[in-house]
Order: sequence, then C-alpha cells, then structure tokens
Amino acid sequence: MIKSMDPQPPPTASAPGTNVTSELAHPRADFLKVTDFNFYYGKKQALYQINMEIPQRQVTAFIGPSGCGKSTLLRNFNRMNELIDGVRHEGDILLNGRSIYDKKMEVIALRRSIGMVFQKSNPFPKSIYENIVYSLRIAGISSKNILDETVERSLRGAALWDEVKDRLQDSALGLSGGQMQRLCIARAIANRPEILLMDEPCSALDPIATAKVEDLIHDLKSQFTIVIVTHNMQQATRCSDRTAFFYLGKLIEYDDTQKIFTNPGEKQTEDYITGRFG
Amino acid sequence: MSTSTVEPTDFFSSANAARSGVRSLWSKFLSAICVGLALLTLVPLFSIVFLVLKNGLPLLSWSVFTELPPAAGMTGGGFGNAIVGTLIMVGIALLLAAPFGILSAVYINEYDPYSRLSNAVRFVAKLLTGIPSIICGVFAYAVIVLTTGGFSAWAGGFALAILILPTILLTAEQALLGVSQAYREASYGLGATKFQTIWRVVLPDALPAIMTGIMLAVARAAGETAPLVFTALFSQFWIQSLREPTASLSVLIYNFSTLPFEHQIKMAWTASLVLVILVTIANITAQVVFRRR
Amino acid sequence: MSTDTVAMPNTHILSTFEEALRSLRDDALMMASLTERNLENARKGLFERDEDWCNTVIADDEEVDTLEVQIDREGVNIMLRYHPLASDMRNVISTMKLSVNLERIADQAVGIARRSRKLISRPPADEMFHLEPIYQYAETMVKDAVRAFASQDLELARGLKERDRQLDQMNRSFAEKLTDLMSHRVDFIPTYMDLIFISRFLERIGDQATNMGEDTIYAISAEETRHTHHLTG
Repeated sequence: MIKSMDPQPPPTASAPGTNVTSELAHPRADFLKVTDFNFYYGKKQALYQINMEIPQRQVTAFIGPSGCGKSTLLRNFNRMNELIDGVRHEGDILLNGRSIYDKKMEVIALRRSIGMVFQKSNPFPKSIYENIVYSLRIAGISSKNILDETVERSLRGAALWDEVKDRLQDSALGLSGGQMQRLCIARAIANRPEILLMDEPCSALDPIATAKVEDLIHDLKSQFTIVIVTHNMQQATRCSDRTAFFYLGKLIEYDDTQKIFTNPGEKQTEDYITGRFG
Repeated sequence: MSTSTVEPTDFFSSANAARSGVRSLWSKFLSAICVGLALLTLVPLFSIVFLVLKNGLPLLSWSVFTELPPAAGMTGGGFGNAIVGTLIMVGIALLLAAPFGILSAVYINEYDPYSRLSNAVRFVAKLLTGIPSIICGVFAYAVIVLTTGGFSAWAGGFALAILILPTILLTAEQALLGVSQAYREASYGLGATKFQTIWRVVLPDALPAIMTGIMLAVARAAGETAPLVFTALFSQFWIQSLREPTASLSVLIYNFSTLPFEHQIKMAWTASLVLVILVTIANITAQVVFRRR
Repeated sequence: MSTDTVAMPNTHILSTFEEALRSLRDDALMMASLTERNLENARKGLFERDEDWCNTVIADDEEVDTLEVQIDREGVNIMLRYHPLASDMRNVISTMKLSVNLERIADQAVGIARRSRKLISRPPADEMFHLEPIYQYAETMVKDAVRAFASQDLELARGLKERDRQLDQMNRSFAEKLTDLMSHRVDFIPTYMDLIFISRFLERIGDQATNMGEDTIYAISAEETRHTHHLTG
C-alpha cells in the first residue's frame, strides 16, 4: 500500500475522535467532486454527464424514482460497481482533490477510506467485537489495545455502546434490526473514513429505529461527510443539508434542501416531490 | 333469492359445506399418503440398523479392536488392523481430495463463475459423481500400483480420493453459494481483498455445510470395497508401512461373508456394525463441532 | 431514452390528496364569495339607508366564521396526512392565511353595518356619498385579490400594494375634510365620526386585501414581499 496516497493514517490509540487530515482545514465545498461522469453497464448507459460537488461535513441526500441512477452513482464513489462485470465509466470523481481512479491509488485503500452502509444491514456472522475490528484486522492491525479502543469509540459513535458493551462477544446476528444497522454504521466508521455512504439505511427499520439512526446521522455529520440515498422524502427533509434529484440517469436539480422542497427550480423536481409522477 | 345484484357468499349454505367437505377429505387423504410413504422410507433404514445390531452385537468386544483376523476355520480374533487400515486410507483420501475439492470450489464460485474453465469443472465433476467405484479402483491400479510395482495403502487412499473428490467439490460449491452475497459486499466495502474476503468471511460461514459434504464423502469412502480390492488388497497383519497391502473393513466384510465358516460370517456382521458406528460417530462429531455458532 | 417523451400529468397520483387540496381551495373561494357578498350588502345598507341589509350582514357573518374554522381544520389535516411539499405546501399555507384575512374583511363589513345602523337613525349627510368611490375602490381590491388567488395571477397580486397606498391616501383626505367640517357643523359631529370610522374600516379592508395579495405571491413564486415598504420608499 502506497502510504502517500492513503488519505487516512491508521488510527492511533492516542488520538480518539479526530479526523486528522481534514480537522484543521476549512471544510471543502468540493470535497467529493464529480465531473462529466458517464457510467455504463455493458451497452446500457446508466448515468449521463453528472456534474456535482458534495461539500465536506454536511449531509447530502440523493432522491429520485427507482432506476434513476442514485444508487449507481453512490456505489461509484467507492468503486463498488467494479465488482460487476462489464462496467465502464467516462469522466472523473475526485475525493479531496485526488481522482479515485488514480492508477497509484489502490481500490482497497480507497474503500478503506470510505465507509458504506447498505439497505439491508449485513453484519458478519461473527461476534459484535469481530465485526467492528474486521477493517482493522484486514489492514494488519492486531494490537489488542488499538482494537479495544476502536470498538468502544465506534460503538459510542454509533450510539450503541451502552446497549452492547456487556456482550461484545455475542453474535452480531442476535441483535434487533435497528441495532444491527447501527452496528453496521459502527463498523463503517471504525476506520475513521473520510466519507460515509448510506444506501437507504432505514428502509428496513421500524419508526423508532429509524429515528435513532437519523439522530445518529445528525451527530456524525460533525465528523464525517455523509451521502445518503433515500426513497423517503421526509427523511431527506429531516436529515440533509443539500439534496440532489436524479431522473433516468441524469442529475436534474441539486441545491439546498430548504430550496428543493419549498420551491424547486425544475418542474420535474416539483412533480416528483409533490407526488405528481414518479 | 336471485336478484340482479351480487349476493355475498353464504358461508353456511349446505352446497358450500358439501363442496368444502369433499375438498378437506381429499386433502386429508393425500396427507395420509405422504405420511405413510415417509414412514415407509424409514423401514429399510431401521431394518438395516436392526439387522446389523442383532447379528453384529454378539461378537462385539474389545478383542475386535485389538486382535488380528482369525485364519479360516479358527474362532476368536478380531479385525483391529482392518479398522486402522480403513481409518488410514480414508484419511489419505481426505488429505488428497479435500484441499483440491474445496479450493476448486472456491475458484469456480468466487473467482470466475462463468468462465469456460469453471463450466468445464462443474460439468466434469457432475459426471464423475456417477463414476462406478470400480473404475476408480482400476484407474488407481494403473496409475499407482503398476508404476510402483505393488499394492499399497497409498493406492487405496488414492482410489478413494478420486471417488470422493467430485462430491466434495460440488457440495463445497453449494456451501459457498449458500453464503449470503451481502457478507461479501460488506467485506469489499470495508476494503478487503478477494482473498481476505474468502478466507475471513466466506469460508468460515460455509464451513458447516462443507463439513457436511466431507462427512458424506467419508461415509461413502469408508464403505467402498471395489476400489480397495485393486489397490490395497488385504493384509492379515498390522500395518507396518503405507507401501504395503493394507487391510480395510469393507474388504474384510467382503472376504469373511463369503467364507463357509459361521464364525467368520458372524465376524463380518460385527465388522459391519463397527463400520456403521464409525460413520455415525464421524457424522455426529462433524455436526456438533462445526455447527453454526 | 428522452425524458421529453414522458407525459407529465398535472394531478397528484394520490387521488385523496388531490381531492383534499381541491376541497380546501373550493372552501376558500366559497368563503371569498360570501365575504364579497357581505361587503356588497353592507354597501347597500349604508348608501340606501336600509336597516334590513345591515342586519343581514351581521347575521351572515356567522357563515364566514364557520368557514374559517373549517378551512383551518382542513389545512391542518392536509399537512398532517400528506406532508405537502413545494408548491403544495405554499398553497395550503397561503390558503389558510387567506381565510384569516377574509374573516377580518367580513368583520370590517360587520363594523360598517353597525355604524350604518347608527347613521340611519340620524338625519342624512351629503358627505356620505363621498365615501362611494372609496368603498368602490376597496371592494374592487378585494375582488381582485380573490381573483389573483383563484387564477394565480402574479401581476394582479403585485399591483395591490400600490393600490393600497392610494386607498390610504383617499381615506386620509376624506378624514381631513370631515374633520374640518366638524368645526362648522357641530350637530353633525356624531354622523361625521361614524363616517370617518367607516372610512377607516375600508382602509383596513384594503390592507387585508393587500395581505391576501402577498400570500398569493408567495404561493405562486415563493417570493417574500411582506413588510418591504422600507425598501421601496
């Protein structure tokens, strides 16, 4: 692994809770920048000329009807789409000024600096402890001190510590749905990623679990940049600072959440959020 | 009461009752057939167990494990060497077949499921599951026995390995398919390499099912006679080296049950009982040790 | 695949939502027409010195009040159930505020009717007819405010602010003139006072109509135009 390209130095036991690279700098407005991005599944084009800048340490929501490309774009940020055969892209995506497709940047290093939470929570069939330290173990870290500190920090960060601190060795599959999703969030932030990507994280949760996760998102945004794909427009209004509306692979409108939901500029946006089509 | 409007269904009318009465009767009849047939399938299984127990139990004693087979016409003795031989040769077969089978399954399922190589491997494996066991014996005879110049435990183990390799491969593939794709995604999302994902997440999760497959293979291998006849032959003595002919339970049973001596025939029953017990223990151990935590 | 070929329907997919919005709007227009009617009846009561019309206005005010409560309830219900966004949300909120303004206008009409009753009990004064253009002006403002809301007419709504200034001016002149006259014709002072009060009601009606215009502008274009007189001088 080429250290100069690694945006995140390995977590140290002495500096809990600090996001070293970006803490001191003024938050960037173009922390995650997409330029002229086109994406293809084989012959089928899924994203058309996407241009957007996602600001640092804010929550950006992607909304749009099914099949509009919002999840596709999200999964390109950590190059997860490359796990599928026959995909190709044009254009670029830059994270903190550096292209994620840079030949010198290894995909696994990129993925370690980006956390992802999926729609259906998918904790490993291991203990709670092992789930969280997984990302550290695969990076070769095995010092018990560091692992323990990471587990506590991550679980506290995910508002789950008090509920599970006495049963860290229990199987993660024994948790409730909402707890499992918060565990997945804890797992995703264990490595102190630059960005947290969330693909409809609450769609399988009951209202109380959803509220807890949304509250968590609010707390997390002081440390992490968050991009969340959601079908639920009320969630976008509650949680996000900026909202992007996609339709049929194109970015139709992207603006402050307040503006999008009180007075959108595009008729398509208006029609979608008022339930006139979609 | 016929009018032009749609009347709600009268659930209590006699016509309805009669129809649903017939339907539930028919359903009960079919259920009874299913239950009956299920019970019927238990019959051969229980018969075998019962017969083996009845005929094998009388001669079951410690000497069976510690003594050598009696000569024709003699009484007493045991078949300890055959037990050891079976264990050794099945062990060799596992050592040869399991890594090949599991790693091949990993390749065809995790690395390139749709490549021509993967498709070819799958096709051939399915073909080989039907291979007559005697062919394995003949093949091992040609490859090992003729080239090394003698019957040996190696050859026996090799023949058994050929026999069980397709089963292990295919059940391992099924086990890997049974691992939720979500786990792999989560692992990649955290920045793991393919190998790390397989080693740390996929294989551990598939292990119980893989072990079940291996146990199936072991049960089959332990009971096969034909492959061993061409390769390990038999021996009346304790095993000294892996390069000599080796005794095995299955060949012993075959030999003794065709002799005209009552004692030997009884020995054969006891050997069968021991074989069944061994296989059962192996199965239970595998289930208990590798159960999904 | 071109997005232009997709037909964009104008109605909401959720038909109950569509009906609720339509019902709210219909109730608001009904309330508007009742208010206009009451204003017109008050005018007749005043200038024709007809006590029956005055009583009618006072009695009919109850209808308007009931509608205001109903519109309020309907609006809250829509917010609760359907979480309207964008133009829907602005429309619902504006409609609810519109109903408040209409109710106040109706109250002014009642005020006018009560004053008219007092005027009728006293000898007539010619100066009363100087109120006619003012009344006409105010009534037209109300009609136009309602029309701007009904047909989403941005220009019409915008014009109300200027007209309100005019109305204020007319009210001021009228009050000044009558105040002057008071010193000459002492026995007419109660009558003149009543007339001045009526003129003040009309001026307030103009204010309400202007408010309605501002709410309509917000509903259509999300522009905030309230309390901006300090900007335009």
